[in-house]
Formats: sequence, structure tokens, C-alpha cells
Amino acid sequence: MHKDWWSCDGRGVWGRSSREPARKGASEFADLSRRAVMASAMMGAVAWLAGRTSALAQVSVSETARKHERETLVVVFLRGGADGLNVVVPYREDAYHRMRPSLALKAPNDDRAAKNDRVLDLDGFFGLNPALEPIFDSYREGDILLLHAVGSQDQTRSHFEAMSAMERGLASADTGTASGWLARYLNASQRSGSSPMRAVAIGPVMPDSLRGALQAVAIGSVDEYALVGADREGWKAALRELYGSGDDPVSAAGRDTLRVLDALNRLDPANYRPENGAGYPTTPLGLAMRQIAMLAKADVGLETACCDMGGWDTHVAQGRSGGWLAGLLGDVGQSLAAFQTDMGPRMAQTTVVVMTEFGRRAYENQGLGTDHGRGSFMLVTGGGVKGGRVLADWPGLERHQLEAGDDLRVTTDYRAVLAEILRTRLGFADTPSVFPGFSNKNPVGLYA
Amino acid sequence: MELTRREALAGGAWGAATLLGAGLLAGGCGETRNPLRAPLPASLRLPKRESARIARALNRVGFGPSPGQIALVARMGLDAWLNAQLRADTEEDDNLRLRVSRLPVYNLPAGELLNYPQAAILAMLQQGAILRMVYSPNQLLERMVDFWTNHFNVYALKGRAAFRKGTDEVEVIRKNALGSFPAMLRASAKSPAMLVYLDNQANTGNGPNENYARELLELHTLGVDGGYTQKDVVEVARCLTGWTTERGFLRPVGKIKFDPDHHDDGEKFVLGHRIPAGGGPTDVDRVLDILVEHPSTARHLARKLCHHFLGEAGPALESRVARAYTESKGDIRQMLRPILHAPELVEGPPILKRPIDFLVSALRALDADTNAGREIQAYLDRMGQPLYQWPMPDGYPDQTAAWTGSLLARWNFAHALAYGAIPRTSVRLSQLASEFDAPRETALMALTLGMTPEDDQTLASRLSKLAYGSDGLKLGAALCLASPAFQWR
Repeated sequence: MHKDWWSCDGRGVWGRSSREPARKGASEFADLSRRAVMASAMMGAVAWLAGRTSALAQVSVSETARKHERETLVVVFLRGGADGLNVVVPYREDAYHRMRPSLALKAPNDDRAAKNDRVLDLDGFFGLNPALEPIFDSYREGDILLLHAVGSQDQTRSHFEAMSAMERGLASADTGTASGWLARYLNASQRSGSSPMRAVAIGPVMPDSLRGALQAVAIGSVDEYALVGADREGWKAALRELYGSGDDPVSAAGRDTLRVLDALNRLDPANYRPENGAGYPTTPLGLAMRQIAMLAKADVGLETACCDMGGWDTHVAQGRSGGWLAGLLGDVGQSLAAFQTDMGPRMAQTTVVVMTEFGRRAYENQGLGTDHGRGSFMLVTGGGVKGGRVLADWPGLERHQLEAGDDLRVTTDYRAVLAEILRTRLGFADTPSVFPGFSNKNPVGLYA
Repeated sequence: MELTRREALAGGAWGAATLLGAGLLAGGCGETRNPLRAPLPASLRLPKRESARIARALNRVGFGPSPGQIALVARMGLDAWLNAQLRADTEEDDNLRLRVSRLPVYNLPAGELLNYPQAAILAMLQQGAILRMVYSPNQLLERMVDFWTNHFNVYALKGRAAFRKGTDEVEVIRKNALGSFPAMLRASAKSPAMLVYLDNQANTGNGPNENYARELLELHTLGVDGGYTQKDVVEVARCLTGWTTERGFLRPVGKIKFDPDHHDDGEKFVLGHRIPAGGGPTDVDRVLDILVEHPSTARHLARKLCHHFLGEAGPALESRVARAYTESKGDIRQMLRPILHAPELVEGPPILKRPIDFLVSALRALDADTNAGREIQAYLDRMGQPLYQWPMPDGYPDQTAAWTGSLLARWNFAHALAYGAIPRTSVRLSQLASEFDAPRETALMALTLGMTPEDDQTLASRLSKLAYGSDGLKLGAALCLASPAFQWR
């Protein structure tokens, strides 16, 4: 079994290829005891908080009308540092093939290569790892937009730091607010009479991006959001009667809650059948996307959903068209494709963002894996997205073009992408309050 | 194996019961030792109009009535009880004191606490806080501890703040919660937990960090409209440079120290006051002097306190409280006096209980025997208020609109508590109900709400329709706790 990112020793380096200089990343000499404490805290948190739900309610900081009332935003976080260079492959870069003799995927028209190792051509320069074949048609139809050389300003190459920075909507992890970017967005876009299920995280723990959110729930599956004792005669009916008539905020909230419970009952999660022949893989991601689709369809007032997927810290034996990374990508591809199919026309009111805390080093290492890097890919799909393209301010992979001589430079700040989604799709103009200290110089162009 | 509180006191309880007939216990002792563990008075009085007012006061000033407490307070008089709460000099019972004071978070330095996983530290902190809120006779003190914990919020999950928060709670908050605000502010400014949380340890002459300075002005003292400028924030940050946490060999010692090399020792101007150069470690004291004496601080604190206890309070009362601050040089008791004696305390519109208010008042109302451990804390988490885990410096919100989303979690808690489904927490509903010589709906409403059936006829009618027997009693208790009426204080 591969080690997952939380037990990564954070050094970011597994052996060195002969060409690589010894690299002093900040993470290599980071405070070991702090990392140990945080690692054990993460493990402790996951175990202790299994099955936890958290329903935080909301303060009206400023009411910003949401132009698109029924938009849903889904954020999928790939944890461990997904290797963007082998997902959205710059197959035309000679340097790519030079630096990854064993791992590099081949050009679409490379006759000497096995067919399985050839990428699916995206735009003549980039190609898609064939393991993502399930979403290739969707890309060609213009529904999926890919971005590259995206990341934060965090230089530590540490999982904890980089995730912390991204989930808090910051440039880097040093200091700054402890609240999550989604929490800030939700709190600032509160409308009166909104649902107790505005924001849902599928998983055992509330992600940092929702920390401080009022009206957020963390559940492993939809059937966890249930009234205990509902089968006890008279309990639910009594609550319905008691909360039925008051015009105060609590009675209204009670009625909202009962409405959500009724909607979830009608949904009948145990017997849910995805529409249009969608087939979700029975992986954690597949099941999570299935829950999210259920909630979106149940009309419970869901606005934001989060889920994540671990296992991307491919330090060793990463594989090329088969193996570790390919397996993860197959999961992502099938889950996303199933979600799109299941949602059907509802995709027009949905946005899915797939992101990761950093990419991986341009050079492969001696273990035929890759070590922590910087820029990586992002995926956006949903209503209004002008897909069928790869958006990248491509910095190149020659030695002098890499950051610290090793890593794909970050030329698009992840916040630019998220801010554009908030502004354009969710009609939320006050993005500076969600991403403090970030000003968007040039639009990314997701929707243009 | 730990004794539950009930087991530990089983010996004492029977002895006390023999005194009951003589009414010795019922005779106006006020809040004496073991108020909850004492056997119930021979007949629990039924509520009258006065009872609803007293129940309201108990919910506002503390965390709600426990069985028999309304009658006790009625006998001694509400004003007398309020004054006793202000004095906060009633001894906690031994069991509570032992239970809480032996928690390592309050006894060991941060360096040694690192041997515990962070989740255990958080659990201990929450356990101590909840146990005191449920069982302490000094209810006003516990409410003020909660208030100031939010006012001087420390997010326990930042860095190693959790390991420092126990000391912060004892030395900064508990020591001064009903005492001197200036003393509390000074203690907070030198608290390692606060230093770590708001990054003042990263604030140096060459690389200033304004985080703590800004929150000091905006949240802790003057308030956002208090009349300071960005320049003031910068100057205050300069005054605060040079403080860092002291480290032993690889581990924190849990104290702070002043490093002159990192201090900006130039001349500073804060809110129109000149702080001469060369002040060194006294710069922070000078800044705090200026802040505690600033009229905006008086107004800001008055507004927050009035809001917390009264919901909406008119400008006249806020001015009176602000004046009390100024005249008493920041004595918190003097600020609370006009608030506690204001008619709005019991006559004003209701305030929505935050999850902690709801949880503790439910445990008190049903005379629960609880260890306030992880099972209880998980419910609090599901309701949205895991203690010490609010990430922003402003503390958990104190507005109605903030907490209406937690109802499902509250309903589920009410049900679990009444049915004894929470491990290491138990209630004795039959015994409680049988102490009332009255129909079940009357008993339950008196117990949980201090109300008569006439006060909430919908609830009373529902309760009377429930089946007889112990299941109906449990369902009825659950319904009272889940009812709209119980969500307000």
C-alpha cells in the first residue's frame, strides 16, 4: 500500500537523479517536532472526529445578492500534490521527455511508443494522460477547461503548509487569517431564509476551507443528516407542530430543517439510482460525488460541496500509463464523468473545480517517482465554462525556466481562478474579502 | 475506573436526605455546596408568574435553572441571588473542584503537555469548561469566563496554541473574569497563547507584524469605530515588538520573554500620545495604559456586555455601564451591576441560546450526571460551537442570526439526553417528575422552562397526548428541550 501524503516526511525528495543538484527546500529542514505534532494531530483528528457533523449558523456580515440563485459550487481537492506534468502533458517540450526518461508519456503521433503510453491530444501542445479518457469526450465537446502552471506563492513544498495556504485562500501559509476561503464566501453571501445545508463537506472532517463557516455540515454520507428518533411515534409530528406556526427566526429555521429532512427522505438515499446511466466507481471519490449529486438534486438549498481524495504523493514508482498515478486518474475521470452524466442538464447550474496543493518536480527521481514541486494543473467544468482548451501562461521546462532549477513555475495564481468563478458564476463581487491581499491583475478567461 | 459524581456522593446523599423532612436543607441556604447533588426538596414548587422571571434571570445570568433552584431563588429573593452571583464567593463542591483542577491542561506547562495528542488537550479544555458551566454554583462567573474567552479569543488549532490555552484560561481569563479588565488585558498581552495565535511573536522591529496590534485595537479595546487609524495600528505594532515565547531545550517553557534586539525602540505616537524612545519592554505597558483609559474602550465593552446579557439595550443603559467602567477604572463587577439590575434582564425580548447555552441549560434542567467528555463534546461540535475552535479573533458570534442553523443537532441532542443514549451522561427523569405532585406536562414544563401549561399551550397539549409510562416521560422531556421555547433565554 502506498504511503499517503500525511505520513510523507515532508522532505519532498526521494533519492536524487544524477542531474539534480542537492536542494535545500525549506521543508527539508522544517521543524521536525512540529511536523510530528501536526501529523499526529491530523491522524488524531481523523480518528476522533469520524462521523462528526457540524452545523454552524450564520452572521449577516453583508448581504450580497447572488445573481444565480441556484448555482452549486463543488470543490474537489486532490491531496498529496498531483503531478500536473503527467496529467496535462506538455508533450511538445523536449525537456519533458529528457527529464522523465521512464515516466514521460508520449506524443499522440509517436509511432515508436506503445499506444497506451500516448497522450490524448488536447490542443497540439498539451495532451491528456490516457487514464483520463472518461472525460476526454467532455473536453472535446467544450465542457471541460484545463489550466496549467497554477499554484500558490507558498515555497515550502510542504503538504501541510501548501494545503493550509490554499484552503485559507492565502498566498502562503506563514500568517494570515485562520478561516477558510469558502467560509468567508459563505458568511459574506448569506441570505435570510437560507438552508441549514448551504455547505456540505463529504468526509469525516470539516475541511479547512470551510473553517469558521456558519451553516456548514460535514457528513460521510447523506443518510447521516437525519433526525434521531424519527421512527419514534409522535416525535417528528410533535416537532412539526411546535415549529409550525411561529414567525420568529427559530420557528422558521425549524420549518426549513424539517423541509430538508423531508426532501432527503423523498430522495431515499439508500435506493438512489443515478440518472442517464451514470456509473460511479465505488471508490471514496466516486461515492462522494454521488452524494453531492444526490444533494444537488434533492433541492435542499445546497450551494457549496467539498470532497477530497488522497493518495497523490507519488514519490516512488509513479507509473506511466499504468500504475499508481494512472489508477488515481482513472478514479477521477470516472467519478467526474459519472457526475456529469448523473447531473445531466443540472450541470448548467453547477461548477466543479479540481485542484491540488502543488505539482511535482519536473525531473523524475531514482525511485521512478516524482518529488514535491510547484505549479500544477487545475480543472474547471460546469455552466458557462468555455472548455476544450488548456489555459496556461506556459513558462517552459528548460533549466533556466524552472523554479529553483527543478520545478514548473507558477504563472497563474489559484486565487485568480477561484475568484473568477465566484464573480462570474456565483455573482459575488466582493472577492477581496474572500482572498485578502490578492488583487486580480488579469482575468483568467474561464468564461470568455 | 472513574467514579461518576453520583457514585462519589452516594454516601453523603442519604445522610442529607434524612435532614430533608426537617426542611433544614430547604431553609434559605442559597447556593450551598452540592446544589445539584443535594436531594430534591420534598415537594418541588410549581411555577407562578414570578417563576418565569426567575427562570429567565437564571438563563441570562448563568446557564439556566437546575431542579429546585427557581424555588430557592424565589425564597431568597432575586436581588439577593444576583448580588451573591456578583460576589461569586460560593465554594464549588469538592467533587467538581477535584475533577476539574486535576486536569493536566491546567497544571502542566505547555512543554510537558506536548506529550498528549492535540485532540486530547482540546477534549480536556472543553471538559473543564463544560463541567464548570454545568455544576458550578457561581454561574455568573462561568458565564463571564465564557464571555471573555470569546472576547480574547484564541484559536486552539493554530500552531501549538492548544497547549498554551489552559494556562491562558487560568491566568488571564478565570483570574480576572469578574475582576479588573485592565489586569485581564495586561495578562492577555503577555500570554503565550495569545502571542502565538495573533503572531505577535513574529512582530519584530525589522519585520513588523500588525496582526495582534490590529485586533488589540479593533476587538479587545477600542472597537472598530473606536477612532483609531491605520497609523495607530502601525505604531502600536511597533510598541509590541520584541516579545517572543521562551524555549527550553526543543520544547516551549510556556513563558514569554523580551528580546531587545528585536524591539523597535524609536519614538512612537499612539492615539495622540507620545511614547518616548528607549522604552524597551515598558512600551507595551504604556500602550495598554492608553487603551484602557480611552473612552471608546468603555463604550465598546459596555455595548458588548449589554448585548450579551440584554440583547438590545438602550443608549442610556450603555452609557451607565460605560460610566461605571470609567469611574471604577475598569472593574467588571461595577459594569455588571446596572446590567443585572436592569428591568430588561427579565422583561426584555428573548435572546437565542447559542449551542453552549442550550447544551448546558439542558444538562442542568434535567439534573444530568455527566463527565462532559468527548461524547458530549461531539454534540456541541455538531451544533457548531466546538469550544476553543473558532478561527477568527472575534470569538463565537453573539447574534441570533448566527445560530439558527443548528436545530437538527439540538433536536438530536435533546432526544439522546432524555433517552439516556449519551455514554457517561445520565438523567433520572422518573425521580424528577415524581417530585412534582402534578400532571406530567406540568412537571416537565416547570422543570425545563419554569413555565406553566398556560404559558405555552401548544407544548402542553402535545405533552399531555404522549403515552403514559417512562417512554412518554422521556419523549416529553426530549420535546421540552427541543421545543422553540427552550431555544431562547
